[in-house]
Amino acid sequence: MNRPHDALPCEEALDLLEPYLDADLPPGEMDRVRRHLEACSACAAELSLAARIQRELRALPQPDCPPEVIERVRRAGRGEVVPFPARERAPRWRIAAAAALVALAVGGGALGVHIQHVRQQQEQVAQATREARLALAYFGKVTRKAGLDVRDEVLEKRLVVPVARSVSRSLGTADDAEPRKEL
Amino acid sequence: MLTAFEDTAQRYRRRVYSFARYLLSSREEAEDVTQEVLLRLWRHRQGVDEERLGSWLLRVTRNACYDLLRKRRSESAAGLAPGFDDEAEEEVASAEPDPQSRAEATDFRRRLLVALAEIGEPYKSVVILREVQGLPHREIGETLGIPEVTVRVHLHRGRKRLRELMKEDVPHE
Repeated sequence: MNRPHDALPCEEALDLLEPYLDADLPPGEMDRVRRHLEACSACAAELSLAARIQRELRALPQPDCPPEVIERVRRAGRGEVVPFPARERAPRWRIAAAAALVALAVGGGALGVHIQHVRQQQEQVAQATREARLALAYFGKVTRKAGLDVRDEVLEKRLVVPVARSVSRSLGTADDAEPRKEL
Repeated sequence: MLTAFEDTAQRYRRRVYSFARYLLSSREEAEDVTQEVLLRLWRHRQGVDEERLGSWLLRVTRNACYDLLRKRRSESAAGLAPGFDDEAEEEVASAEPDPQSRAEATDFRRRLLVALAEIGEPYKSVVILREVQGLPHREIGETLGIPEVTVRVHLHRGRKRLRELMKEDVPHE
């Protein structure tokens, strides 16, 4: 293919699209890129994409800081001790939920041995069971959010129901209440 | 004294917070960084040149973000999905009236944010500061400690990298 001596190859033109869009090239280079784009539809399509990317970047929102952050800074400026807000991040929740599972399994079984003759502890065990269910429900929610494939029905079938049944048997009480799925 | 500090905090809070938000892709961590940066401003306000306050704040913000990112990488591989959090997804939703155009435009922005998270430094900071925040090249250079001409080179390379990533993502576009 015959090309004028100053014609740009595509590879070089593609390297210059962003500075061309910003008119950030010397005049001679601007002309060479423009001529190439007039003759090359593939590179012209790339220029459209480059222009759209720039347009979309400029249209992205600039979110503002929540007022409570400024309030915390203001209080700290007055000399108050202002801790960072306590936040539960996913890995910690996974650890907490796993700990709750272990506590439920071990605690439920161990309690079962001792509790048959200790009537006043029944309410404590029932309370522990409810709390463990809440932890399990949260575990399901967090693992979903983290993209782990542990579904509610799996948690319920494999963990919540067997453990609840074990605790109920230990207590000598039937507990058929459905576990809560959401907090 | 506190009033002058509060004025400054109010003036720069959006810039600091949104820079952190795009660098970290996390609302909560961006809030923590903003708090930390503004507290640092409170402590060091006497030593900061008023004319360079904006670039000083952005430099401190960037350093704080990268400390957090390093910590995040060392703590766990199960971090956030690159690009954005749930709230950012709502924020980038397009306002196109036609549902099909709206869906396409929102998808484009979502992919753009994911690509932005992947282009690496210093390109990411330069692209955010120039294209998203609209800062002049000079101020970006002061923030990053590089000459203006280097800012322009990084900006063009960063956007070119974005274009390549967007093409990889949708090969038939």
